[in-house]
Amino acid sequence: MQIDIAYRPAHSLARVSLQPGEPVVAEAGAMVGMSTNVQMQTQSGGMMSGLKRMFGGESFFRNTFTPQGGPGEVLLAHALCGDMAILEMTQYGYFIQSGAFIASSAGVNVETSSGGLRGFFSGAGVFVLKATAQAPGQVLVGGFGGIQELVCDGNMVIDTGHLVAWDATLQYSVTKSGAGWIASFLSGEGLVCHFQGQGRIWIQTRNPIEYGRTVGAMLPPG
Amino acid sequence: MQQQPYAQPGQHYGGPPAPMVQQQYAAPASVAHEITHGPSFAMLRVDLQPGQVFVAEAGSMVARHHHVGMEVKMNAGRAAGFFAMLKALIIAVLRKFVGGETFFVNHFSAPQPGSVWVAPSLTGQIHHRRLNGESLVLSTGAYVGHVGDVDLKLKFGGLKALLAKEGAFFLVATGHGDLWFNSYGGIHAVDVNGSYIVDNGHLVGYEGNLDFNIRTAGGGLMGMVASGEGLVCEFRGQGRVYIQSRNLSALVQWLTGMMH
Repeated sequence: MQIDIAYRPAHSLARVSLQPGEPVVAEAGAMVGMSTNVQMQTQSGGMMSGLKRMFGGESFFRNTFTPQGGPGEVLLAHALCGDMAILEMTQYGYFIQSGAFIASSAGVNVETSSGGLRGFFSGAGVFVLKATAQAPGQVLVGGFGGIQELVCDGNMVIDTGHLVAWDATLQYSVTKSGAGWIASFLSGEGLVCHFQGQGRIWIQTRNPIEYGRTVGAMLPPG
Repeated sequence: MQQQPYAQPGQHYGGPPAPMVQQQYAAPASVAHEITHGPSFAMLRVDLQPGQVFVAEAGSMVARHHHVGMEVKMNAGRAAGFFAMLKALIIAVLRKFVGGETFFVNHFSAPQPGSVWVAPSLTGQIHHRRLNGESLVLSTGAYVGHVGDVDLKLKFGGLKALLAKEGAFFLVATGHGDLWFNSYGGIHAVDVNGSYIVDNGHLVGYEGNLDFNIRTAGGGLMGMVASGEGLVCEFRGQGRVYIQSRNLSALVQWLTGMMH
């Protein structure tokens, strides 16, 4: 599987080139175009895992694209304007913010992991997916705005709305930002994710929910 | 499967070290910072040394090193008296619920070197400006943050500001230090010498020594309705005006039209 990303950073489009019979799993609705010999199969992976994924803030279904009788390509895009990043699988795997997942190669196992009760109630969608693989593989993620890789060497604090993905080597916990609830509310920072350890964190330079709320608040009701 | 090498302690976080901003005058050097991902999705990183305080619009933090302390404060201006504080509090509470700039700010400081990343809500650019005693008037929502001896004051724009839909309040930044502001779209600077006209929805900020008034773009009442140009700000004097290449009210109007 070879991924090339064009039209970065604002309107990135991923071209996934596949060998005959080599599948790629993509988020429902992400497909923009594909070769005619590519077959699409829709899987929910069973009722429970589908529901789990829905709670994870993604669509119920994921599609598997496989070229038949020759190589083929699939074009993939994200719903929001922004950049994409390719994560090469490591032995540790990655945590991925649920809305950022676009596609993964066949050997990658993507599971919904709970972001904790605080994540559920925040509305910030701090549900995370865990991607692991026994063999080399790739995960394609998309962000709102630019994507910046930060290196955590010790401790870092990241706004939950700006998270894209991070190395599974990192310990993380979701907490309120300020010293108390009032400070959190006044400071406007809401929930943050505390990271501990050594690893990389990919962030998006815009917060989709904050953007939606800002523009949405200016629109007339109804 | 090769794990990518991690940065060693002491190595810079999140990209190459920020270049120092070139100064054309003998003034204290700007704080180390870098603006990335512009012009559409700009993000600002400020690298703090012990003793430096980065003040930023509440809610704008993207990330920080854990040892960088954060303290929420009300944006009432330096050495504000009781009534100034009261005024700021009332406005802050109003704005918190009505929307717009919160007038709460976060103070970031670090006992050892550390970085803070901030980004605005909307798409657009972040602009850095070194203040050397002059004042810059920013329209609603344009303030990102500052470092140094900069005083922020709320200014009631009066009837003309209400008419110009720029919000009833301006933020006046005066002093010596680094100031960052953001725009919806790209930022375009115009050096006014004499007079210049700017569409009110595109105004980001202007130097305090400029004078401005609101008028129609021309053609009287008919021109105002038919030209689509509405009201404009006419600046007079000598100084710099910052314009944004997109207009938020225009986006909102366009989206509103699509909703029915």
